[in-house]
Amino acid sequence: VRIRFPSLVHSAMSGEEEENAAELKIGDEFLKAKCLMNCEVSLILEHKYEQLQQVSEDPMNQVSQVFEKSLQYVKRFSRYKNPDAVRQVREILSRHQLTEFELCVLGNLCPETAEEAVAMVPSLKTKGRAHSDEAIEKMLNDLSLVKRFE
Amino acid sequence: MFCLSELEDTVRVPPSDLNLPLEVAIKKALQKLFLDKVLSIGLCVSIYGIKSIEGGFVLPGDGAATYKVRFRIVVFRPFVGEVIAAKFKESDSNGLRLTLGFFEDVYVPAPLIPTPNRCEPDPYNRNQMRWVWKYGDDEFIIDDSCQIKFRVENISYPPVPTERAEDAKPFAPMVVTGTIDDDGLGPVSWWEACAPISDDED
Repeated sequence: VRIRFPSLVHSAMSGEEEENAAELKIGDEFLKAKCLMNCEVSLILEHKYEQLQQVSEDPMNQVSQVFEKSLQYVKRFSRYKNPDAVRQVREILSRHQLTEFELCVLGNLCPETAEEAVAMVPSLKTKGRAHSDEAIEKMLNDLSLVKRFE
Repeated sequence: MFCLSELEDTVRVPPSDLNLPLEVAIKKALQKLFLDKVLSIGLCVSIYGIKSIEGGFVLPGDGAATYKVRFRIVVFRPFVGEVIAAKFKESDSNGLRLTLGFFEDVYVPAPLIPTPNRCEPDPYNRNQMRWVWKYGDDEFIIDDSCQIKFRVENISYPPVPTERAEDAKPFAPMVVTGTIDDDGLGPVSWWEACAPISDDED
């Protein structure tokens, strides 16, 4: 096993995002990477798998174990399957002043109540943030309306 | 969780691949370099795409061409405090081992299993110990019957060993320590169809 440290490229992040990440004490590297929900990774990896299938007769020869198992994992742990639904989920969550990290944890775990949501993402209740239980319930309700299978 | 990371690195395309279309050759080299490797930013599970390629110089004495490439990869990058869904892999007297399939080094040590509990020989598997949580009058065996949610407590990156014994376990470049001792954590069956708990309990 090799460990490599290529240089990380700084991508532009808004000032607001940096402040929130600091509150969560996640660390600088988080700012340079964009977080993905399992359902988004599922679309990405499935697309890559399809591309490989078009190119060769036996795509699994080319696709490594880790790719195949990652695809298996994200397919299993994604509630939303079609691209429209996945886009809607990110849109809905993006309207609620969440950090990328919080957005992805909520999108991955799909809590049903505000209580569950806060248990999964305690930073929602950090002092100074305006996430009332009503606001969280509204957000979860909007999510539940997204059609999972079309 | 998974993240999309942009990197810049120097990539060598061996002479045998120089007849391939450039992007294909570079992608092949990137896959060999990064797929299934643990970087400072996480475990690389896929190359996402190439943003730019520069160079193509052949250094003296080297048949290969060297390129400076900007590209993006999909990495699995656990965060401390993150709740992740996993499956049971095995258990022993030290605690549980959980797996995500593509990543199998998640450990829940005994102190992070809810109490009271006990560890006993697994009647179905001679080599294993199993953990049983006692809650009120009920007992819950921790096994592979359903999904298990854990919260990341710590991530460590052990140094690559210089010497290995013949029978040593495969080297794990990234090890995640998790807890299942909190609300919503542990086997999901513990939380499904929860009856309301009366106020004088707990």
